[in-house]
Order: sequence, then C-alpha cells, then structure tokens
Amino acid sequence: MKQDKKMIVLFLTPAVISFVFMFLYPVSRTVFMSLFEVESLTAATDQWKFNGIGNYIAIWQNPGFRGSMYNILRIWLVGGVCVLGLSLLFAVILTSGVRGKSMFRAIIYLPNVVSAVALAAMWMQYVFNRKYGLLNDIAGLFGVNINWLGTELKFWSMLIAFIFGAVGYYMLIFLSGIERIPSDLYEAATIDGASKVGQFTHITLPLLKGVFKTNLTFWSINTITFYVWSKMFSPVDSELSTISPVVYMMNIVFGSKGVTVRSAGRGAAVGVTLAVFVLIVFTLFNVLIKDDDYEL
Amino acid sequence: MKQIDYSKPHIDWHKELKLVPGYLVLGLWVLFTVVMLGWIFAASFSTSKEIYSGTVLQFASGFHLENYATAWQTQNVSVFFANSLLYATTALIGIELICAPASYVLSRFKFMGNKLIRNCFIVGMSIPSIMIILPLYSLASQWGLTGTRTLLIVLYICLNVPFTTTFLLNFFGTLSRTYEEAAAIDGSSPINTFWTIMLPLAQPGMITVGIFNFLAVWNEYFMALIFAGSDKLKNVGVGLFNMVAALKSVGNLGALFAAVIIVFMPTFLIYLFLSDKIIAGVTAGGVKG
Repeated sequence: MKQDKKMIVLFLTPAVISFVFMFLYPVSRTVFMSLFEVESLTAATDQWKFNGIGNYIAIWQNPGFRGSMYNILRIWLVGGVCVLGLSLLFAVILTSGVRGKSMFRAIIYLPNVVSAVALAAMWMQYVFNRKYGLLNDIAGLFGVNINWLGTELKFWSMLIAFIFGAVGYYMLIFLSGIERIPSDLYEAATIDGASKVGQFTHITLPLLKGVFKTNLTFWSINTITFYVWSKMFSPVDSELSTISPVVYMMNIVFGSKGVTVRSAGRGAAVGVTLAVFVLIVFTLFNVLIKDDDYEL
Repeated sequence: MKQIDYSKPHIDWHKELKLVPGYLVLGLWVLFTVVMLGWIFAASFSTSKEIYSGTVLQFASGFHLENYATAWQTQNVSVFFANSLLYATTALIGIELICAPASYVLSRFKFMGNKLIRNCFIVGMSIPSIMIILPLYSLASQWGLTGTRTLLIVLYICLNVPFTTTFLLNFFGTLSRTYEEAAAIDGSSPINTFWTIMLPLAQPGMITVGIFNFLAVWNEYFMALIFAGSDKLKNVGVGLFNMVAALKSVGNLGALFAAVIIVFMPTFLIYLFLSDKIIAGVTAGGVKG
C-alpha cells in the first residue's frame, strides 16, 4: 500500500497530543512534584521548595496513611482471593453445560455497568440496613440482628459489597479463557479415565495461567484507586476503618475536616507510592507467572 | 471433531442431577441480585413509613410517583441527568473522531515510532488516575477552565483515547487489506479510502467501543468530583452522592430510592438491549472494566 506521510501525521496528531496532555505531562509533573514542598496545587513552580524524599517520609509517618495502606492491602488480598475465586467458580459452572448460561452470565455481569455510587447506595440504604435490610431479614430468621454498618463490621461490609460488584468482569475474562481451551483435551482425558476434578487441576488451571495473570493485573490496577466505595461508606469524616490511600490523598491536597496540614507535594508522593506498588506487583506477576509455554 | 446430535425431546436427568450444585450457586447469586433490584424498584414507589415498617411490596397506599417528581425536580436530578447525557454523548463523538483515524494509521502503516505509540497507549490504560489529576487541576486553573463543561468533556475524551485506540487498532487488524488495494487501483487516495470504505467497515467495532465509552463516562465519579465545581455542572455520580446524604437526613427514603433508580435506568436499559455486544466486547478487548 502507498505510504502517505501527510496522512500519518494528520491522523495521529490529535491522539498523540491528547496522550501528552492527559498522561505524559501530568505523570512527569506528579513525580517531580512529589520531591518538592508544595502547599497549594495552584502554586507556581518557582514557589516549590526541594524536599528530597521528605514527602515520602512524612506520609509514612502519618497514621492515617499507614491505616489506608493497611486497608488497601486487605482489600487487594482478601478481596482478590474472593473475587478471583468466585469468578473462576462461576466461569467453571457456566462452562459445565448448565442451561440458561447467557441469562446467568448477563445478570452476574450487570453490576459492572451500573454507577458505583448507585450500587453502593443500594447496599448501604437497603441490603445492610439494620431495620428493613435484606441481610437482616435473612439473619432475622435465625433470631439475630447484625449492625453491618457499625464500626467493627463496616470495613468487611464495604468489602462484601465491592466484591459483589466486581465478580462479573473477572468471570467474563475467565469464561473466554476456558472457552478457548480445545475441547479434545477434555475428551482425551475423559477417555483416559480422568475425573472432573482431575481435569480441572491438570488441564483447566495450567492453561488458564495467562488469563490469571491478566486478571491479577487488572485487579491490582482497579483496587489501587479504590475511592468511591470508601467515600460512600464514610461520607462525612474519613474513618480509619474504611479510609483508602486515594481518600487520604484527596484530604491532604484539597483539605478536609481534621486535616491540619495541606500539602500537594505529599499528595503527589501518595500517588507515586501507589504507582510504584502497581509496578512492583506487575513485574512480580510477569516474572512468577510464565505463560509462554502455552499458546491458546 | 464433530458429534452427531442425538438430542432427544426429554431431559437427561442424570446429567442435570450432576449440575444441581452449580445451579444452586448461580441461582442464589442471581436471586440475590434480582431481589435487591426488585425491592429497590418497589421502594422507589413507596412512602418512607412503608419502607421502615417493611411493607414495601404491598403498596397499601398506592404507587407514589411523587417520589420521582421530588428526585427529578426538587433534588436536581434533571440537571445531573442532562449533564451526564451531554458529557457522555459529546465525549463519545470526540473519542471516535480522534481514535478511529489514529488506530487505522497505527494498524495499517509501517513507520518509525509506530510501536512506541502503541505501547504508550497500552501503558496509558493502566496509569492510575491519581497520577494525573493533580497537574491537570493546576493546568485547568492556570488556563481558567475550572467550572466549565468544556473542561470535563475534554478530560473525558483524552482519558479514553488509549483504550479506544487500542481496541479499534485490533479491530482494523481483522479487516482484509483487499478493500484498500482495490480502492487504490481505482485511483482513490488513502485518506479518501479511509473515510469512504474503511470507516464504514469498522462500524461494528466503533459501536462496541462507543457503548463502553458511554457507560464509562456516564458512571464516572472521580474526575467529576474534582473538576465539576458547582451543582450546575455535576454529573449523576457526584449528584447522587450528595443527594443520598441529603434525602437520608430529611428521611425521604422513597425519593432516595427513586433517585437511585433514575441513575441506574439508562445504563440498565442499554445493557438490557445490548448485553451480548457488551459481553463480547469485554472478552474481545479484555482491557477495561
């Protein structure tokens, strides 16, 4: 085909400019800003004072930030095990020959197309409600009434609601992975007398390695920016039980009740810290999970 | 290997029996979802008193459509709704206009920097929003754009360029080159060929990615929270967030659930009619939640 230089430039320029404006410049400036003492976001660069890794030390010394990192670790780990476990289970069931597969699949994925604010409102105002909530209606059958949104349970309630909303997406990715496994592998295994469980652990799981890596990566990227759910479950003050790093960052940059020092530089340091964590996790998965042996 | 279909009119009970645990797990999950949505839908037509006393599904005092009127007018849902609609549709058009040509050139032409640009977009998809919002905020206030709808639309367009370009790039890769070769023999310029032949052929991909962008912008919360200063500019996410607290404090639960349903309905209806396309898009793109 005839190469057309003018066409290449003309067609690519808007996309490239948008990338530079939206990603390249902001990311570089955030990294840069994390090394300076910057009080207000709108401060000109000549008012920035170099601070080395001072911002990083300051945030790690703050109990609010450490608490938020502990929360995000639990969300990532516990939530990750539950979400990936449940979504794999659903994907396996859906490919085992059940009727109404597309109906089940569509309903399980549904929460993913709903606004997170609306979904969180449904859980908080209905499912977890102490008086008329769905869970306490069920618990009431056993004569118990649980305060789901009390300080002790709040974190776990938030995590349950978040898991419910997330499962569908990872299920779809697993589903497409399982469907790409050639069916003659299972047929041969059945002829050789392998059980269903044996087929799962020796065929399905090893061949899903690459899909696992994809899902783990998406999960890490999605949880690191955990924000809406945290805000919905403690809308007024940021409680230590549900605070996430992004909530902490927003508080120190834009100010909030109980925040004594406002610092855009520290906010940038929080952002960079989280990005570094994603990068570490991403690299670890790439080193630990090698899927090049299997081409599906 | 193709098997002959011996399917009989009656059900294979032995096979179905083995699937019972599976049906049970899926059934419970789906039942929970349906009960939750059904109850909230019913509650949006009930009074606060009925909701508190647990008699939502009886509609003893009739259907309270005024809950919707309260949410829509008094609580400004109409404004948030119109804003979200505006943001989502204009961003959608802008994204397609920028990404379709870019992805076509990236998928068809060999030139220096092609691979680099592709990789940039892939990295762009996984950059957490917290890494970009602070400088964007400074830029916006420097350029005097804060508190304008234009700012949010531009941000939504740029935010979705990496995902959309990558998605369409893969889609163009599936189209045969014979169309362009034939057009070139007929004397059509490459630019002309793109607009008249290739773009119409890419429509299925553009529609799928368009649905994703519409849903993403409609449901967006974080950017709108930071960049939509006044009530007039807020989208449904930020608007609903404030409304939940306000309606809760005055104890108008019926209107609260009506507001939730109004925000939920558009994406739900899109999903109802296009779920096959959306699900196929998730698995094909496998890139965005």
